[in-house]
Amino acid sequence: MFDHLKKLSAVKSGNGIKFLSPAVFPGNHCPMRIASVIVEDIKGLSSLLVGTPECATHSRLFSPLPEGRHGELHWLYVIDSNEVVFGCREGIMDALRKMDRAGAEAILIIGTCIPELIGEDMEGLIHEIQPELKARVAFVMLGQFKNVSYPPGSWKTMEAMASLMDSAGRDGMRVNILGRSPVEEHIPRPALLDHLESAELKLRYLAPGASLDDFRQAPDASLNIVLSPFAQPLAVRMEKDFGTPFIALHDKYDPAEIEKAYADIADAAGFSWNGEFDAEKLGAENLQAKAAERLKGMSFVFSQRIDMPVPLAGYFTGLGMEPLLLHLEEYYPADSVHVKKIKDAGHDPLVCRITHIAEDEKLIRELKPDVCFGYFQKTDIQCVSDMYDFYGQTGYGRTVNILKRIFEVTGE
Amino acid sequence: MGLLRFKPIPSGRMGTLWTLSTIKNAALVEFGCMGHMLYSGVTLKHGGVNDLCRLYSTHIDETDIALGGTDRLEHTVAGVIKNDSPKVIFFLPSAVPEVIGTDLRALCDELQQEHPEVKMIPFGQGGFNVYQHEGIKNALLTLVKSIPAETERTPEPSFNIIGSCADLFRFQADAQETVRVVEGAFGMKTLCVLTSDTCVEDIERIGSAHINLVIRREGEAAAKYLQRKYGTPYILHRPYGIDGTAEWLERIGRMLGISPAKEFIEAEKSIARKRLEPVMPHFRHMARAHQEDVTLHLGAHADVVGGILSFGCRELGFHKGICWCDNPDMGTDELPYYSEEKWISAVEGLKDGLFMSSGEILEWSGRSLSMQISYPDRLWHLHPFEPPFMGFRGAVNLANLWINCNIERW
Repeated sequence: MFDHLKKLSAVKSGNGIKFLSPAVFPGNHCPMRIASVIVEDIKGLSSLLVGTPECATHSRLFSPLPEGRHGELHWLYVIDSNEVVFGCREGIMDALRKMDRAGAEAILIIGTCIPELIGEDMEGLIHEIQPELKARVAFVMLGQFKNVSYPPGSWKTMEAMASLMDSAGRDGMRVNILGRSPVEEHIPRPALLDHLESAELKLRYLAPGASLDDFRQAPDASLNIVLSPFAQPLAVRMEKDFGTPFIALHDKYDPAEIEKAYADIADAAGFSWNGEFDAEKLGAENLQAKAAERLKGMSFVFSQRIDMPVPLAGYFTGLGMEPLLLHLEEYYPADSVHVKKIKDAGHDPLVCRITHIAEDEKLIRELKPDVCFGYFQKTDIQCVSDMYDFYGQTGYGRTVNILKRIFEVTGE
Repeated sequence: MGLLRFKPIPSGRMGTLWTLSTIKNAALVEFGCMGHMLYSGVTLKHGGVNDLCRLYSTHIDETDIALGGTDRLEHTVAGVIKNDSPKVIFFLPSAVPEVIGTDLRALCDELQQEHPEVKMIPFGQGGFNVYQHEGIKNALLTLVKSIPAETERTPEPSFNIIGSCADLFRFQADAQETVRVVEGAFGMKTLCVLTSDTCVEDIERIGSAHINLVIRREGEAAAKYLQRKYGTPYILHRPYGIDGTAEWLERIGRMLGISPAKEFIEAEKSIARKRLEPVMPHFRHMARAHQEDVTLHLGAHADVVGGILSFGCRELGFHKGICWCDNPDMGTDELPYYSEEKWISAVEGLKDGLFMSSGEILEWSGRSLSMQISYPDRLWHLHPFEPPFMGFRGAVNLANLWINCNIERW
């Protein structure tokens, strides 16, 4: 029943993760979906989606209008049979010229399965046509046969934005916050951000909701702070291309790790904390101690809709819990640190992709976990659901909220 | 198709999927990346199609492509049979297997031998230059070639509807109205509404009907096949309007050699006319004095445009404006196909008149979505009992839309 699955330690990328059961119903989102959503939410950025009639049609489920509110163009390029054989280079170049003439400021080409399959050389194509155009052009290749689920649509699109950035002199007081929108209303604002502003740092938010100008100017920052797994690859790329250091907060749940990250931020930005987080930290430490006592020995399974399963499983393992099976939507390079933690604690859970929740729930029951996390259809499973509520939250507050949610379900 | 601003003409694969998606007691397995099926499912749910035919995908990855691996298909089929016990499994390739040349038909033959208890039917029509209508046409034809059992004619007159598919806006309401008027006029029973309201068992007995009523041109090949195989006569017509629907019923009667119930038809005509009575003076005045305001500008499937135009012009005295069909293979001198570029230019030039088209075009051009007669759009249509466009009740609905459109403009 589980023989076909790999252990966590054997997985090195998102492509090595097996499906829990073979018949996909309805399956995971295509990375093109997230890319379409992101480009529509970046003011001033135009896009050209390249693919089949299906891709072009379905992208309109998420980016329904061909023109944005600020003159952005979200146009489609549908490949024909001739181009499948001989390539779509000329057609795409012509399309870029038309978009340039129509006033696009910058264009992100979103390549789907067929351009990826036929090996269309987007980099070469852009290199050739860029001198003709006023609009800057970047690309992201998102064939689903290479990018099994939606996270690459998010992190690769964000990473591609680095191609549209301009080198700039450093502003010592400027900090980029990667993975939070400047106009965020739904995700509670981490307390850290207010404290950073109190330290007179100038924050720039880079996520859907930001503008093309925000991205262009981003290399002037002295530090990138990462709040989302989807933004970390952009931070890595900016460090490589522009030398901007970054500190990631999204994968830190343990109060001790959070404290260290906050200290690193203060160091990098050249100021000191004055006990701003002491009360929060103490609350998190107390709750964590209680969790380590009461949750110890409980086995768990992760289902869908958990944004960072490996870091979170690493944290739970540190509390003495036992991971049995993890659904991974994506395996990030940075996950390897957390895999080591889990291995060091003596565990090596099975990993899978859940693509048919109704059937896969039956299989998961066979494992008899003490508690499940994420999305399940049946309500009789002891399940900590709605884990996406914690997406975008960071710091001590998130740890407290997660532990409280577990206690609510387990009755501890 | 190249560069587009709006949704492209759907592919043959999409036409095939929309045709099969409403058949109950069947499963469909798409061999390809799972995003296709996920979003096709979402699009179908938007259109009111939910969990009728079970829609599965295998997904494929780089290794499958590099090594030509098809294990996923075998495992998926085994899983589908175990989970759902469908009577029939339809197979559909997605774009990637088509490009790498996967022989789905041969795979299907092999799987059929492994699972003789389930009928396996492969579908094609996925190529890059194959449009939606070819997919629908071939899906309907393949269904009637593959599923029907040897059967006797029903003792009492009965009929099938062929060509009611999920790609047409208000397909459920139109099918319901069509069934209502035929049952009312002839007391005939419906055997199969292919495919919007059917199951595998209905298709098995499709050959027992006395007549096939084909309501779109894509269904004619299937009807011709059934005529050859079972001797079932057919009529290809999409009935709109009060007189138009009555004439269609008379035609069915002549073909069957039985008279439609006069009292039913007269009652239906009378009810519809009474409903229209209060607005007819306005329509007549407009047709005489303000022609531009009762000029019909229509863009949709050729049969839908032709039918609505016929009702408006022939029965209400309206005028034909800029009308086009949405498929290049259906264009004629009288009703040309308009590419995106052409309809954008036409719509930008429209000032007066009654403009009906897709939700996408109406929304973009800032017009009321109440005048929608075709997909695509981005709304949900959960309610299967919205007013139809076809039949007697459809005539009242259309007239209602037109008078309100006039009022909004004045």
